[in-house]
Amino acid sequence: MYSVYRTTPRFAFTALALTATLSLPAMADDSDRIDQLEQRLDSMQKQMTESSLEKVRLNGFFSTGYTRANNDAGYDEATEKSDLETLSLFGLQSTFALGRNTDAVLQLVSRGSDDWDTELEWGYLRHQFSNGSELRAGKMRLPLFMESETLEIGYGQPWARPPEAVYDPVPVRSYVGADAAYTLNLSGSSIQARAFAGHLDDDADSLGQTVSVELRNITGLTANWTNYLWTFRGVYARAEATIGGTPPIGDDEKSEFMGLGLSYDDGNWLLMSELTRIEVDGFYQDTDSAYITLGYRVKEVTPYVTASWIESQDNYERDGTPLEVLDVRRQAYSLGFRWDMTTSVALKADWTHARGFGKTTGGLIGNQLDVLAGNPGGRFDSTDVYTVRLDAAF
Amino acid sequence: MAIRRAPVHALLIALCLFSSALHAELVIIGHHGGPDTITVQQVKDIYLNRSSRMPDDQRVVAFQLPAGNSMRDEFNKLVTERNDAWLKSFWSRQVLTGKGHPPREVSSANGMKSVVSSTLGSIGYLDSTLVDDSVKVLLAPEP
Repeated sequence: MYSVYRTTPRFAFTALALTATLSLPAMADDSDRIDQLEQRLDSMQKQMTESSLEKVRLNGFFSTGYTRANNDAGYDEATEKSDLETLSLFGLQSTFALGRNTDAVLQLVSRGSDDWDTELEWGYLRHQFSNGSELRAGKMRLPLFMESETLEIGYGQPWARPPEAVYDPVPVRSYVGADAAYTLNLSGSSIQARAFAGHLDDDADSLGQTVSVELRNITGLTANWTNYLWTFRGVYARAEATIGGTPPIGDDEKSEFMGLGLSYDDGNWLLMSELTRIEVDGFYQDTDSAYITLGYRVKEVTPYVTASWIESQDNYERDGTPLEVLDVRRQAYSLGFRWDMTTSVALKADWTHARGFGKTTGGLIGNQLDVLAGNPGGRFDSTDVYTVRLDAAF
Repeated sequence: MAIRRAPVHALLIALCLFSSALHAELVIIGHHGGPDTITVQQVKDIYLNRSSRMPDDQRVVAFQLPAGNSMRDEFNKLVTERNDAWLKSFWSRQVLTGKGHPPREVSSANGMKSVVSSTLGSIGYLDSTLVDDSVKVLLAPEP
C-alpha cells in the first residue's frame, strides 16, 4: 500500500504512523474487505459506464438587456426610446449521441426581435474520426468570424455586443451544407483547418425593409492556430449573392469574404482583434472593418475597451442612386465591463460612442431612413449608446 | 537505543499528523490501472480541454469538486491558473460549440475517491489527508 504515497514522502510518514497505530488489528479479515471492495467497485464501475453513455445532453442560453441611445441615429437599432426586445433571446441546444463518435446537434433560438418566434438555428449530424478529423452536414453557423459559433451566446463573450463594425455587415448567420475539419494536436499547440460548402436562403433587415438574401455556391476555408494563449485565425469564403429589396440590391453577384483574427487570453489579460474585408459586385457595399478589444480580469469583473472602424470602398458604384445611403464610414469606441455575478450569470454594461461618419450615414438605420425620406439635414454626426445586459448559460 | 528512539518517533508522528491536518495539501489522484506520475502541464491540459488522454494514452475521465470547495480553489490556483468565472465561461463555450464537456463534478471528497478508484482512465484531486489506498497519488503540485 505504500506505493500510493510514493510521490509525497511526508504522507508516507503519516501513513506509516497510521498503519502502526490503527490498522494492525484489521489485517486478519483483509480478504473479506477485498471482497467487499471488489463488489463496491463493480457496482460503481457499472454506474459510471452507464452515465458516460448519456444519450442526450441539453444546454441553454439566455440574454436580456436594455439599450438606449442619446439620439435616433440608430446604432444597433438603438434609439432614444428604451428597448428591451432587441437584446432578448432564449436558446436551447441538445446533442443526441447516435453512437460513440456520431451525434446530432440541434439549436433552437427564440428572439425578442422576431416576436419570440422559434427558429432552428443549427441542426446537423457530426461524425468524429479517431485521426482528428470531423465531418458535419446540415444547418450550421457560417464560420466567418472568430466568434461566429458563440454569436448569440452572450455569456460566452466578453462584450455587451460583438463589435458592430465587423459583425454587422454580414446580415445572415447560418447556412445549409457540409464541412470537414482536421485538427492536428502538437505539443503545446494545435492547428485546425476547416473547409465548408453550402447554400443560404434567409431574410435580413435592410433600410427598414425585410429583404431576402440568397447565397449560392458558398465555399470557404478557415485555418486556426493556437498555443492556448495566442490564437491566430484566417478565413476565406466566396458565394454568389442575390439580395432583394426595392430596387433589388444585387442579383447573383460574385461575393468574397476575407478575415484575419488574433486573440490572447492568459486568464487575466484579454486581447481580441479581427480584420475583415467584404467584396460584393454591384450595389451592395464593399467594406473593410476592424476592431481591437483589450480587457483585464479583476476576480469576477472584466473591464474592457474596444475601438472599431468600418469603411465602404466602392462608394462610386452607388453615386447618384438612392443606394448612396449604404455608403459607410464610422469609428466606434466602447468602454464596458463584464461582471460574473454567479457562476452562470454575467451582467454587462457598455458605453459606445460612434463618430467619424464623414459624408455618409455612418451605416446607421436612423440616418439612412432620414436621407431616404429626403431629409439629409436630419442626419446625426455621432451617437452614444448605453447598454446593460444580462447573459446566462445553463 | 530502541527505548530512547521510540518516544522521538511518537513525537515526530504526532507532529506530522498535526501539521498535515492543519496544512491540507492538494494531490492529484488517479486509478490504480493508470500511469504512476503526471506533470502539472499534463493535468492542466486535461482540465482545460486541450488533451483527452492520460500520459499512458488511456482516454481520460476527469473529475472535479464543486465550486466553493477549498481544494478546488487550490487546484485552480496551482494547476489551471484560471478562476471559476473564467472556467464557467470557457466551458459553456466549449459545450455550446460542441468541443467538449467539463470535468464531471463530484459532490464530496469521499465521492471523489470512489469514482476515481472505480473508473479506468480517471483523474481527480483531493486533500492529501483524505487519500487512502483505493486511489493512486500521481502528483502533489508545489505552490
